[in-house]
This record gives sequence, C-alpha cells and structure tokens, in this order.
Amino acid sequence: MKLYEFQGKSLFREAGIPVPKGAVVTASDRSGLFAPSAVKAQVLSGGRGKAGGVLLASTMEEAEKAAGSILSMELKGEPVKAVLVEEKMNIRAEYYLAVTFDGEAGTPLFMASASGGMDIESVAEHAPEKILKLPVDSLWGLTDYKIREMADFLGYENKKEFTSFARKLWNLFREKEAVLVEINPLVVTDSGLVALDAKIEIDDDAKPRLKELFKRNLSEQASITGKGADADHGTITYVPLDGNVGLISDGAGTGMLTLDLIRDFGGSAADFCEMGGLTSPEVMYSAMDQVFSDKKDIKSLLVVLIGGFNRMDEMAEGITAYLRDHSVSIPLVVRLCGTMEEEGKTIMKEAGLPVYDDLRTAVADAVRFAAGGE
Amino acid sequence: MAVLVDRNTRVIVQGITGKSGILQTKSLIDYGTAVVAGVTPGKAGTAVEGVPVFNSVADAMKETAPNAAISFVPPLFAKDAAMEAMEAGVKLLVLTMEGIPKHDVLDILSYASGRGVRVLGPGTAGVISPGKCKLGAHPARMFREGKIGVVSKSGALSYEVGKTLTDAGIGQSTVVALGGGPIWGTTQRDVVELFNADPETEIIVLLGEIGGSTEIAAAEYIAESVRKPVVSLIVGRSAPEGKSLGHAGAIIRGNKGTAASKMEALEKAGALLATTPAQVVEIIRKLG
Repeated sequence: MKLYEFQGKSLFREAGIPVPKGAVVTASDRSGLFAPSAVKAQVLSGGRGKAGGVLLASTMEEAEKAAGSILSMELKGEPVKAVLVEEKMNIRAEYYLAVTFDGEAGTPLFMASASGGMDIESVAEHAPEKILKLPVDSLWGLTDYKIREMADFLGYENKKEFTSFARKLWNLFREKEAVLVEINPLVVTDSGLVALDAKIEIDDDAKPRLKELFKRNLSEQASITGKGADADHGTITYVPLDGNVGLISDGAGTGMLTLDLIRDFGGSAADFCEMGGLTSPEVMYSAMDQVFSDKKDIKSLLVVLIGGFNRMDEMAEGITAYLRDHSVSIPLVVRLCGTMEEEGKTIMKEAGLPVYDDLRTAVADAVRFAAGGE
Repeated sequence: MAVLVDRNTRVIVQGITGKSGILQTKSLIDYGTAVVAGVTPGKAGTAVEGVPVFNSVADAMKETAPNAAISFVPPLFAKDAAMEAMEAGVKLLVLTMEGIPKHDVLDILSYASGRGVRVLGPGTAGVISPGKCKLGAHPARMFREGKIGVVSKSGALSYEVGKTLTDAGIGQSTVVALGGGPIWGTTQRDVVELFNADPETEIIVLLGEIGGSTEIAAAEYIAESVRKPVVSLIVGRSAPEGKSLGHAGAIIRGNKGTAASKMEALEKAGALLATTPAQVVEIIRKLG
C-alpha cells in the first residue's frame, strides 16, 4: 500500500519526525488554505515536482489559484483530488534519505545523499558515488557507527540530532513494516532537520497484522479518490498487452517464456496473466474471467500449466467450470502437465476439451488459430 | 554428490498436517526422499504417511536428526518456524510459501547468515537431485539422473527445462529453484558456485528472467571462476518495457535488468546463449 504524502507525514508526526505545518485541501473543502505556502499535489506516482505539481504562493489569492490549478491536473494519468498546503521553509541544504531493502542481498538498506531534490534519479545514474548505500542487518538494527557514517557522508554537524532522526526513521520502517520510507528532500533549516516530503509504502503481506493501519489509510484514500479500494486479485498478476492471443500461465517464468515463443511463432499476446505456483480452481476460474472480460476481441486463449505445488485436476476443474458458466466461442489451447496430470487430463477429456503436452505445439496452434487457421 | 540434497539428506516437514504438507509429504516419500519427521505444534504422537509428528523441531532433532527442513507453515507463522528450525541446528531451509511479510523474510535471512544456514526461497519450488532426493514440488517424471546442473529463479521454468532435457534423454545432477519473490536467500551466483565445485556436474544451465541484477552477479562469477560450460536462457525478451510481469523483480528500469543486458553480460562471461528450452538441448548436444 502506497501512502499519499500527507498520510506519510502523519506517520512521521506520530513517530516524532519533524514535518512542516500543513493542511489537506480538496475541491469541496478549501477551509485549510493559507499563505504564504507551498501547494503540493497529492498523488501516488513520483516526479510530481517536475510535472508542475508543486506551486509556491505568497498571498491567499495566489494560494487559491495554485490549489485550483493543481486540482484540475492529471499527473501520470492520475487525476489530482487533493493538495497539501504547507508552510514555506527556510532551506539551507537539501538531502536525500531513504530506508528500503535490497532484495538481492537480503538486507534492509539505507540510502543517503547530500544532493537531494528533484534530480536524485539523475544523480543515481550519473554520479552514483554521491549516494551512500548502507546495508543494515535487520536483527542487529541500526547501529551507531552506521549512523555516524551517514552523518559524516552528508556533512551534517549535529550528530545528536541526526542520530535521533535516523533512529526514528528506522523504527518507523520496522514497526509499520514499510518496504520504502523515502524523504526527498530532507531539508536543513535554521531549526534543524525537517522532512519536506514523505514517500511511504507499506508491505501488503503484513496487512493481516496491521489491520488498523491499512483500514485507516485505505478508507482515507477512498474518500479522496471517490472510488472504492482496488479489488483484491489474490495471487493473480494481470498485464494487458496489444495482441490477439490470450495468455494464462501458472508461473511467471513459464509465462514469460510463452510470451517469447508466441512472438517467435509470429503471433502477439493480448495479455500476460500469471496465477502463481500454488493456486486453486477458483483462481483458475477468475483468471479466465479476468482475461475474457478485459479482452473481448481475443482470437484464441492459450493456457500454459505445469504443476509442481499446483494441482492439474484443480486447474481442469477451474477451466471446465468457467466453460459451463460462460459461452466461449474462440479456440482454447490448454497445455497441462505435472502434479495430478492424469486426473486433470481425464476431467478435460470428459468435457470434450483437447489437452496439449508440448509447449511449442500448443503455442504454434494458439498463434495459428488466432490468425484464422484451422 | 550433486548439490544441496543427496542420499544423505534427512528431511523434516514443518506444517506437515496441513493440506499442502500432507500432499507434498506423500510426493517426497513416493520419490524416495528420507522424510524422518514432521512438526505441527500440538500434534505430537500422530503420524502423516507413516512419518512421526513432533510438537517442536528440537524434539524431532533428538530422535530423528534431520539436516534439512521444508516448510509449509502459513505466511504469518513462517518466521517463527524458520527460527525454530535454525536454532535446532538445521542447515538447509526450503521456504515454499509466498506472501511471508518482508520484514520477517529479512529477519530469517539475517539469522541464517549468522548461523551459516542456507535458505532457498521464500516462494521456492525447492530442489531435486534426480534419483537421490527431492525436496520440493518438482514433478518426478520430468527429471532423470545425469550431469547437467540447472538453476532457475522460477519453479515452473525449471520444470519446463527439466522436462525438455529429460524428454531428450539428457539427465540432471541437481535442479534448483530459487523463488520469484522480491527478497530471497540463495541466488543464482551461489548455486553456480556449488555446481562449479561439484564433480558430478559437467554443464551448468542458468535460467533467468528480466528484472533485477542477480544474473549479472552470476555472470561476473562465471567470468572469474567457472571453467565448466554454462548454457543460459533468459526469458522475457519480448516483454514490453516498464511493465511488471509477476515476479516483483521483473521490472525493467532503463537498461538495467533487460533481457538484452543480461544476455550480453552472460555472453561476455563465456556462457552459451539459448532463447528456448529446445535450444538448451541443442547446445548441450553440441557440447557432447
């Protein structure tokens, strides 16, 4: 779950991390507006500043105008429904400070740079030595010598203040089970460090034990966007593409291989739909529902199954149940092998559906059928 | 020999009395894996498929001395189970579950590295040394004993390539799946290193996919230290840029993590490139 800046800042405030005074303003409630101020679009995507989503206002009239203009914007396809109006800061320096994890090393990771601000991505690309990447052991926690290393790298003199700041950030990262807590910029003001921005993402896998946190933030988001929370698709990953061969697989690796083979055989996939390696008849059913309801003009559907933990009898049950409930007029190509394969093939045969064993033959046929071949 | 698991592997199944635990225990035993114990708190004294169930790993350790654990414990309890197995002295953990909270995974890996424990996963299909031991979901008939070491992030892709090799009469020493999550313990580089040192493995097959950079790290190791032939297949070369295709790692950012950049690094390191499983077979046949 990604949080809006104002939601992230409310977590910062609870954790004792300094943030500017501010108020949320929407089209229907402008009562919080003040000046002089910075008016900032509340969106979940990045690159807001460069896209004109942050405006400075010296007077109330300017603040009204800025809020009106930003509230009519769309940033990376996301309509702006709220702005955060904040006091202006007297900025001496802009740092970048974040804590996330390095999946390939299997450790939490602090990142710090004295070159914070809108251009941090270009710093990462062109001057990576200006960003300190500091792995932190999750069980040992954030040790003093690592904090000193960061403060020295940033050139920040007040070690006591920085230590307290970094510890609060680390504790927030751990307690709220964040996968990212990013402050860009972290500004140095006359009164010390202030988090001028907040980008927080909470681990969705921790939802069952952080019920209150998820509930509060998701309902806040729903009241701003006016939409309900996104439906929970479980383990299904669905990405629409441009071709006419529908594709469902029970593993990302084989799904990508099949995508490559479809192209090699001169076809093009209409989607990438992957169910994960431990699934159920219901997931198979809803994967077919997902593809057919989104892609009404596919010319064939290719289902690629190779079961380990995943059971082929259950997959066949899911497929035949879907076909009993829906009329499907396009050719269906099912490759099915692995765990409980014989049982799965029997269920398919009883329903009068052909089954493939070889992936290449299945892909070739699915592409041929999509091109109108027999 | 083979790597990670062989005839000396003694397995404890954590979460043995759950639906997956029961089904998979049967499949491991059918294959000939020595499943010596199972654990489910509160179920001591019962048995699953003839395997004695204990309340704790420590109890099972005293009586049955397992040296590897496979876990079907639900995500929210997976960390506790993993810590318990490690503290009892188990040196190989296979974490099959997806959806374990990420901070729990980070804690497991921290504890494992301090104790010299090897972790496969989370979200892994596990490992099979054909003819010797299966510690995972690999469908038995897709694998046969031989000299090819296979390492893959994706479980299903490791079955696909195993099946293609086996259908062509080419056997495998060990086939390892690492798991597709955003955080995982053992990486491609680690397994390539094991295969490099294994006298029974003559050719290494490295299966990768778009996103992340673990294949690049493996390529660096191959260039430095590996003299055995390496055949590599990277899937997702036709994926549209910037779209995440399932594995959270599989996100293309700029040039980093593209199929092309990985293939280039592997080719420079001396690996032979295949674009399909059938080509993996062709290349291995040419190598004799």
